Amino acid sequence: MSAIDERRSQFKKYKEDVKDRGKPFYPYAMFHDTVMSLVVVGVIVGLASVWFYTSGENPDTCGGKDSCLLGPRYSEPADPGTTNFVPRPDWYFYFLFYLLRIFKWPDSVILGTVGIPTILLIIAFALPFLDIRSERRLSRRPVAVVAAILVVISMGELTYKGAVAKEALASEVVAAVPQWAQREGFANDPKAVAGANVFAEGGCTSCHTYLGTGGGNLGAPDLSAEGSKGKGVQGLESYVADPSKFGNTVMPKFGAFASIPAKDAQGKDLGISQLRVLAIFLDASKGPK
Amino acid sequence: MAVSARTRKSARLQRLEAAINYPIDWLEERSGLVGGLRYFLFRKVPGDSNWFHTLGSATLTAFLVQATTGVILAMYYKPEPKTAYASIQHITNDVTLGWLVRGMHKWGASVFIILLFFHMARVFLFGAYKYPRELNWIVGVLLLVMGMAEGFTGYLLPWDQTSYWATVVGINLNGTVPFLGPYIAQFLRGGAEIGPDTLARFYSIHMLLIPGAIFALIGLHLYLVVRLGVSSPPWSKEAAGADWVEEQVTTNGRSGLTQPAARSSWRRNGGDAE
Ligand code: HEC
Ligand code: HEM
Repeated sequence: MSAIDERRSQFKKYKEDVKDRGKPFYPYAMFHDTVMSLVVVGVIVGLASVWFYTSGENPDTCGGKDSCLLGPRYSEPADPGTTNFVPRPDWYFYFLFYLLRIFKWPDSVILGTVGIPTILLIIAFALPFLDIRSERRLSRRPVAVVAAILVVISMGELTYKGAVAKEALASEVVAAVPQWAQREGFANDPKAVAGANVFAEGGCTSCHTYLGTGGGNLGAPDLSAEGSKGKGVQGLESYVADPSKFGNTVMPKFGAFASIPAKDAQGKDLGISQLRVLAIFLDASKGPK
Repeated sequence: MAVSARTRKSARLQRLEAAINYPIDWLEERSGLVGGLRYFLFRKVPGDSNWFHTLGSATLTAFLVQATTGVILAMYYKPEPKTAYASIQHITNDVTLGWLVRGMHKWGASVFIILLFFHMARVFLFGAYKYPRELNWIVGVLLLVMGMAEGFTGYLLPWDQTSYWATVVGINLNGTVPFLGPYIAQFLRGGAEIGPDTLARFYSIHMLLIPGAIFALIGLHLYLVVRLGVSSPPWSKEAAGADWVEEQVTTNGRSGLTQPAARSSWRRNGGDAE
């Protein structure tokens, strides 16, 4: 008997068995389904209530007056000008998010963004055709069991790591600026120092690292020695304004910085834009002395 | 006297019954829907189905919660960069029970995704994706992809910093796809920058396109579930259609191995097995 004939006769037997020994969906299975559905709705209402009653109307009350057990009601309104914000997806994308830290730009980052997800998806779709034996008992499906355990562990691990991934807080990064200026030797250049502050506050460190501070996210390179690559202030300025022109489609455009005037530490207007001081800062970053 | 009271009552009961049955019969005669529902409710499921089998309908419930709360949110939400954030604040803080509707939608999304994965895990562990249920597995994977796409598009709608910057990066990552990437990113943004067009587009995809597809796919999914039946737990001693139930009987004791076990799986090449 060929394999497909055998499966057909097995399914025929299944239908007969269910007819002879099965129980009607209503009320038996339906009872279980109803109980479970009520639990689901209860859990959702519970989560919504905890979320609402532990948070406040202001986006920044968390940690102070409110515990925000399940996070704030919303963050600050979207502002394309400031990126003082760590890009973070919803939790079920954390595993993808973390994958991008493992692969380094530009050689292999595509593996993380496209390669691995695509392979996983193809395997998921093709599963019934990869595993064509009719055997269903776990003890006789060692490959399937091991594969399942590996998938669960690695997804869990990546999700966990994505969740706890250390993000540099802007305030911490700003505190590191004087030390950067010292080590890179641009402490006497107020424009570069102002640029370093824009860099620290502007959210660049949620992806980039600079002298050990920052995220190292999404394959963004370390910028401690960016100025030694010979791009010049002009080149760096146009790069940061619109990285997509240089084939960098991951990094956001920061053209908006061009219309914000830069100030020095004393609050005195420097007469040039934040984008400009940012570029001056990058250009002055020749690596630690 | 008592007798006549009872007969009078039963006559009334009969009339009541007829009054109830009339619209049902009317509907059945013209649509066959009642018979369909009866078939759905009273169809047999394997005697050993258990709590694991409730994960699918639990997922369905979570989806219905999303659909219902989503419709209510859409009555108050204003998909414009200038107004979206304020309308979300208004829903959460001012509208009567608005916090509950938004909270259920927000947290229901996570519950939905978790249940999708649990349901998928149970189908995997039960080997329930095997013949003849391959197609239903594929429909299921499509549902999973759609569910995650709902999460991605819905995340932008509050138009706060979290949603804005996660979407900037999310779209940029789509942009790294070889060849097609720039076009995908362009399509998602609806232009060169994330702005009003992006928000309108995400909103439309999130509340019309994908939910429509999910509804259709769930219909197909449930049709296949009813048509093919659900699989017994593989460890069950009385699993429907399982050859190992017989195997256990025939291989009990040494002589069992030599007995012809008509449907045992290791004999698939035995020409005279049937
Ligand atoms: C969302 C993550 C992200 C953020 C935020 C970000 N970048 Fe980038 N950036 C990248 C990635 C990824 C690359 C690498 C692209 C490549 O090599 O093509 C990059 C490359 C660069 C480069 C070129 C590096 C080189 O040597 O090729 C510069 C300069 C730069 N970024 C500056 C900045 C500045 C300044 C900011 C803040 C205003 C910033 N970036 C914010 C992701 C980011
Ligand atoms: C919106 C999402 C989904 C809904 C509402 C849904 C609903 C259901 C329901 C009600 C059942 C009946 C048995 C049970 O509850 O376990 C079922 C069975 C099934 N589902 Fe889903 N499902 C969804 C997603 C998925 C996914 C993501 C997969 C896998 C990739 C999947 C694969 C299957 C298969 C193969 C069966 C047959 C199981 C058997 O024969 O035992 N479904 N689904």
